[in-house]
Amino acid sequence: MSFRATYIPWTQKYRPKSLLEVVGNDEAKRKILEWIQTWEKSIPEKRAILIYGPPGIGKTSTIEALANDLNMELIISDASTYRTEEAVKRTAGRASQAGSIFGKKKIIVFDEVDGVSGTADTGGLREIIDVIKNTRVPVVLIANDAWDPRLASLRNLCELIEFKRLSVHDVARYLQKICLKEGISAEDKALKFIAERSSGDLRSAINDLQALAQGKTKLTYEDVAWLAPRDRKEQIFNVLRMIFYAKNSATAKSAVNMADVDLDMLFEWIYENAPYHIKNPLEFAAVMDMLAKADIYRGRINKTQNWAFLRYVIDLMTAGVAASWSKKTTGWIPFRFPERIRTASMKKEEKGLLEEIGRKIGKKCHISSARAVKEVLPYLRIILWNNPKMGREIAKWFDLNEEMLTYIAGEKLPSSAKF
Amino acid sequence: MWTEKYRPRTLDEIVDQEEIVSRLKSFVKAKNVPHCIFAGPPGTGKTTAALCLAHDLYGENYREYVMELNASDERGINVIRETVKTFARSRPIGEVSFKLLILDEADNMTDDAQQALRRTMERYTETARFILIANYSSKIIEPIQSRCAPFRFTPLPRDAIIRRIEYICEKEHVSILNDGIEAILDLSEGDLRKTLNILQTAASVGKPINAEIVYSVVGKANPYSVRDMIFTALNGDFISARSKLRELLQKYGLSGMDIVRQIHSEIFKLDIPDKWKVKLADITGEIDYRLVQGANEEIQLSALLAKFIEVGYEIKKVS
Repeated sequence: MSFRATYIPWTQKYRPKSLLEVVGNDEAKRKILEWIQTWEKSIPEKRAILIYGPPGIGKTSTIEALANDLNMELIISDASTYRTEEAVKRTAGRASQAGSIFGKKKIIVFDEVDGVSGTADTGGLREIIDVIKNTRVPVVLIANDAWDPRLASLRNLCELIEFKRLSVHDVARYLQKICLKEGISAEDKALKFIAERSSGDLRSAINDLQALAQGKTKLTYEDVAWLAPRDRKEQIFNVLRMIFYAKNSATAKSAVNMADVDLDMLFEWIYENAPYHIKNPLEFAAVMDMLAKADIYRGRINKTQNWAFLRYVIDLMTAGVAASWSKKTTGWIPFRFPERIRTASMKKEEKGLLEEIGRKIGKKCHISSARAVKEVLPYLRIILWNNPKMGREIAKWFDLNEEMLTYIAGEKLPSSAKF
Repeated sequence: MWTEKYRPRTLDEIVDQEEIVSRLKSFVKAKNVPHCIFAGPPGTGKTTAALCLAHDLYGENYREYVMELNASDERGINVIRETVKTFARSRPIGEVSFKLLILDEADNMTDDAQQALRRTMERYTETARFILIANYSSKIIEPIQSRCAPFRFTPLPRDAIIRRIEYICEKEHVSILNDGIEAILDLSEGDLRKTLNILQTAASVGKPINAEIVYSVVGKANPYSVRDMIFTALNGDFISARSKLRELLQKYGLSGMDIVRQIHSEIFKLDIPDKWKVKLADITGEIDYRLVQGANEEIQLSALLAKFIEVGYEIKKVS
């Protein structure tokens, strides 16, 4: 196939050449740079760093761009190579001892260390530890999950640097840059949509963009919107999982940016699902307390119209929830759609109708409308069920109309018993 | 509705509360009525007595001389300042020189509305007399109480209720069995309105009323009670407690405040050590305050339920 020759993945084509081009995670990038720079003077206390975070957010790209900026040579070992004790010794081991009076300085990179296999890479992890202990050049480990138990002893030797998911905004902006270079005019809405779908994974967003836009001059929202139905639900589930099971407050808080529902809706999702995940009564009370406090701030925003308070709503409903329980749960628990949303829209109309019914009954029975709803209406309902004729007579006396009657009975009544 | 169909029209038709009725009759005779407070539990004839008094005082057209207000519906100060004042200040035509204002559920009036009422009562005593109806006279401010003749209504005695049930059944050609009557008495707690509502609903089944029918219709009519919700929470099942809460809020139209108050009155009936009752009351108070501040009813009440679960857990741990 002829096009294959020209087909370069955009993820490769637009890989950042310099640290300046890497989006997001500024704090982490700064830490890495500082750590590398200390090597110029002497060997730092921690001879290795462990960069961790979800896929596709620029962990490896950052190291590559950095090496490029500092004109250093990367010795990379990833899952595609064997990482047995032998292999590690032969490559990284040797490189870590080589002086570099001449030629480029080196960085040794163990990408995907959580992918070092226990069986095929016998002794690999132990050898990596050895390399770190004795290295004379910087060693960088990269993993998705820093808390993998197998990495426990490695972890102690490393400075941990977390990479976070990118914001929708950052991803969308990067996509926009690519579109410009590719000569595609893309609607903001379309790019935002792809960005949202990616859950902060820039690599998957770029792949999506390429699949949808390559060879086009225009990209509209309609071009991308069809991707929606399958992933929407998946997306909110991921966000919820991120919040409930967040390992730290930053992760929990950042989940808000990834949700493609508004904050109130997200709140409802959290509130609906919390009791299914948090089973310990003490922990649950603490979690519910956080949500109630977030709700209080919502009330304060309403009252003062000071939207700056929103930050506290977010803190409490995400980090507050995550920090209030031990995250021990057995097995996989599905997420549920918020019940309150399903009934809320109906509720407003209903409330008006109910008040009107209460007023009419109350007037005849010399009681308040609230009491009429509480004390008379339930009986009228049963009478309507048991004996529509009798019920209708009473309803007529109360001056209730057909709509009210249908509402009270909770169904259409047999019309045989008209007034 | 039988509660209205069989509501006495004149003081003579009232079969109980003899002492109160005889005092009211003396007012009619003198064609003078002081300001009154009718206090007592629901369904004991307070509103009926007020309406009968009005009927006997003014005759068949008594509606022209009477204003009936329900403080739960119109509890604000403006109603007192405007509606009540306008009504109260003009002298009626006829042999009785004042109008009658019946203020039902007066214990639900705000404090400032009560203050405004106090002034109005004083200023227009010549042209209007007030009958305040309340479950608890203690919720009426002291200055108003001191201006009113107090009437204390007590729950109706069993036989009086039984006689009423039998009388209505005869009129309505409904047959009722003894265990049916017992069941109604058991459920209605001396509240005649509730008694008649249960009776009529049971009659709508169209069979001779027995205990089974009574319990079944009441079971269907009553929402999950607040008490039931509290028990569910104390036993540690948040998810069911929350669905009961939703039922109360949505299907039965209770307000968050209603529920908070009912929770509070249930707490001290619970069979748990006193120190925990106080703890639960404290939690309830906090939530009450938040609701007053405009927080979301369901979220706050859910937080309350979660706290109750915590307390239930602690109690079990101790015992």
